[in-house]
Amino acid sequence: MSESLRKITRREFLKAAGIGLAASSVAGILQACGAAPTDMPATKPPPVVPTVASTAIPPTSAPQSAKSLRWDWWGEQEAPGLETWVKKTLDLYKQKSGVDIQTTLVDSSVVVTDIQTTSASGNPPDLMYFWNGIYHMESVWMGYVEPLNGLLPDDMLKASGATVLSIFQGKQYRVGWYACSPIILYNKDMFDKAGLNADQPPKTWEEFMAACDKLKSKGFTPIIGGLKDGPWGEWYLGHSLAQNLDTPGEVLSLFNGVLDWREPKYWEQWQRLGDLWKAGFINNDFLSIDLYPGIDNFGTGKGAITEAVVSHAPKMQSMLGAEKVGAMVFPYGGKGKMAGKPMVDTQGIGIASGSKSKEAAAELLKFMGTSEVMTSLFNEVKVFPTYTTWDGDKEIQDPTSKYIWQNWVKNPAGIPYISNLMPTLFWTDAMFVNSQNIISGKFTGEQAGQNAYDVTQKWVQQNPDLAEKYKAWTKEMNV
Amino acid sequence: MLKTHFLTPYLYLFPAAALLLFTFGYPLASVFYFSMHRIRGVSGPFIGFENFLQVFKDTTFHMAAAHNLQLLIAVPIMTAIALLIAVLLHERVSGWETYRTILFAPYILAIPVVGIVFNNILQLNGILNESLRSIGLRFLAGDWLGSADLALWSVMGVIIWREVGFGIVLFQASLLSLNEELQDAAKIDGAGWWQRLFYVTIPQLRDVIEFFVVVSVITMLAWVFGFVFVMTKGGPGNATQIMELYIFNFAFRSSLPGIASAVAVILFLITLVLIIPLFRVHSQSNEGRNS
Repeated sequence: MSESLRKITRREFLKAAGIGLAASSVAGILQACGAAPTDMPATKPPPVVPTVASTAIPPTSAPQSAKSLRWDWWGEQEAPGLETWVKKTLDLYKQKSGVDIQTTLVDSSVVVTDIQTTSASGNPPDLMYFWNGIYHMESVWMGYVEPLNGLLPDDMLKASGATVLSIFQGKQYRVGWYACSPIILYNKDMFDKAGLNADQPPKTWEEFMAACDKLKSKGFTPIIGGLKDGPWGEWYLGHSLAQNLDTPGEVLSLFNGVLDWREPKYWEQWQRLGDLWKAGFINNDFLSIDLYPGIDNFGTGKGAITEAVVSHAPKMQSMLGAEKVGAMVFPYGGKGKMAGKPMVDTQGIGIASGSKSKEAAAELLKFMGTSEVMTSLFNEVKVFPTYTTWDGDKEIQDPTSKYIWQNWVKNPAGIPYISNLMPTLFWTDAMFVNSQNIISGKFTGEQAGQNAYDVTQKWVQQNPDLAEKYKAWTKEMNV
Repeated sequence: MLKTHFLTPYLYLFPAAALLLFTFGYPLASVFYFSMHRIRGVSGPFIGFENFLQVFKDTTFHMAAAHNLQLLIAVPIMTAIALLIAVLLHERVSGWETYRTILFAPYILAIPVVGIVFNNILQLNGILNESLRSIGLRFLAGDWLGSADLALWSVMGVIIWREVGFGIVLFQASLLSLNEELQDAAKIDGAGWWQRLFYVTIPQLRDVIEFFVVVSVITMLAWVFGFVFVMTKGGPGNATQIMELYIFNFAFRSSLPGIASAVAVILFLITLVLIIPLFRVHSQSNEGRNS
């Protein structure tokens, strides 16, 4: 220890420490005050301040120079086994490219906002898992998501299965990863026992009600599910509202208040849900259990029909027997051009605008889109890859899985999943509330429509900036 | 006597004060700041009291606030149960230490664990209803979490079940430190068990009861999110919507932290309004005792 240091007394040390801490605290506070927000338009990307780190990054023509990337993702929750597959696949990528990918499995509640909060704090992940539609477009409008055009070849973008809901003003912001299209699964065995044709499931609403009646009369619970946590109602709304709509643009106009939820054709789907409940066609503990336990109850043979997404089908097949699970389109029950068509939806991946290694991130996306990787995804996790370049017809052996792949994944006639255009406020205050209040008997269909209208007006008042974006998006979606 | 500069004590206090200011003061100031801005990410334009106006005219917020107030009903219930059990344990009934451990155990369980367990117990076809049905009490079986009329009461019951253990241990610890001579004197004077409870024991526990009430009021206003989020998500409909969930929905789902902050400010002020008089009463009673 030097002489000068030895001379410092405890009292002097405390004084010095106090002054040091005070200075650092004041500096932090002043910095925070100095960083007071400006009236920056929501769409303007946050200014990029050159730093030592960013200027030291080599030109973009050398993407492999990135030693590591960060990827915040989600999916294990709906596709068990995905986490193991991701780790294995990224280890393989590291062997091939030398790039280490650090992953964070984020919670369901922050899938939408993770990119926003990390970008705002200046430290976004390079890659981000994105739900479709508004659930990532909102971040696009804030300037936090990088358009993939130019980073990835156009044919790859088109083939990735990201769907039209990932495109804004001609730019695409996600590539597809695996399919999550909503679907109606049914138990063929129960259909047979109820005297229904299991190979010809009901197509119209009237046929559907008649089928439920027959199933009930044979002692089966016609529809089984769980509404307590909400997503069942989202899938139902997506399926049923589409029956009276012509384009995804029409639903955008509903969500931003240009069209009126109080018109009967926009609320009759909730009335129909009430009809199903009152007729005793839905399990009596519908409000008491969550989505996934409800689907599992279908797998244990407690009900004949359930709402699910395509990635659930293999599990249901393994629980019930592959030949007993059938897949059907939501019954045709309206006059819209989207009625009676299967919905196609995908989970996807995008690149953060704040990433310092966009090209390296794009390289990883290219790797994820190769046929070998997609085949391993299908074989090991039993989810459907979304790329049209993947030869599912060859890789998929099971007839039901192949039928699902052809109709709910690789179907050019499929329609986008319109619930992905729903603002989150509508999800919590209208969709969630309406579907549960309909079952509780506290709302009629008309009251549900009124609540949807009120919530929409509230959302427009609280989000004037997003409402304007919705209008611009509507023009593209009306095609 | 050693003379020191008059600023020296403050200098010693400064590091801790600065740390507190930075860890508590800065976030609090940020919440107030956010509440006046339309925040996207972490910044946005100044909009005055617009967020507050939006909140005050939102019927969902009205419901949330009403439900938090309804949950305050649990405070006297918890206090009475905890007090009664603590006094009974203090009587040294056989196995009282085991009972105390069992009764305190819920309090050390994580709220999500409690929520998930009660989710299963309280399902329409869950353990509770199946048990009731099996012993011929089918008429008592209800959709505890799925009925809009029952859900908030069910959540309240679970909160009481978990939180009462804290009160029991708190009261029991205080009972152990009480002057036994007063009890003996009351016995000699012929006071019965209830008389001793109301006229000797409870007055002596007044401070700790006040503390428990204050903590419980804060819990019911600002610490029940975990129960609601795990058990009902605010449903059915809005039947269990509370202010914390309202804040969470705007902050993390609807990407409107400005509105979430406005509600946080309101909640902060409500808590202050409720707690300051309680402490004032407490200090007045102390002054009265001292004089």
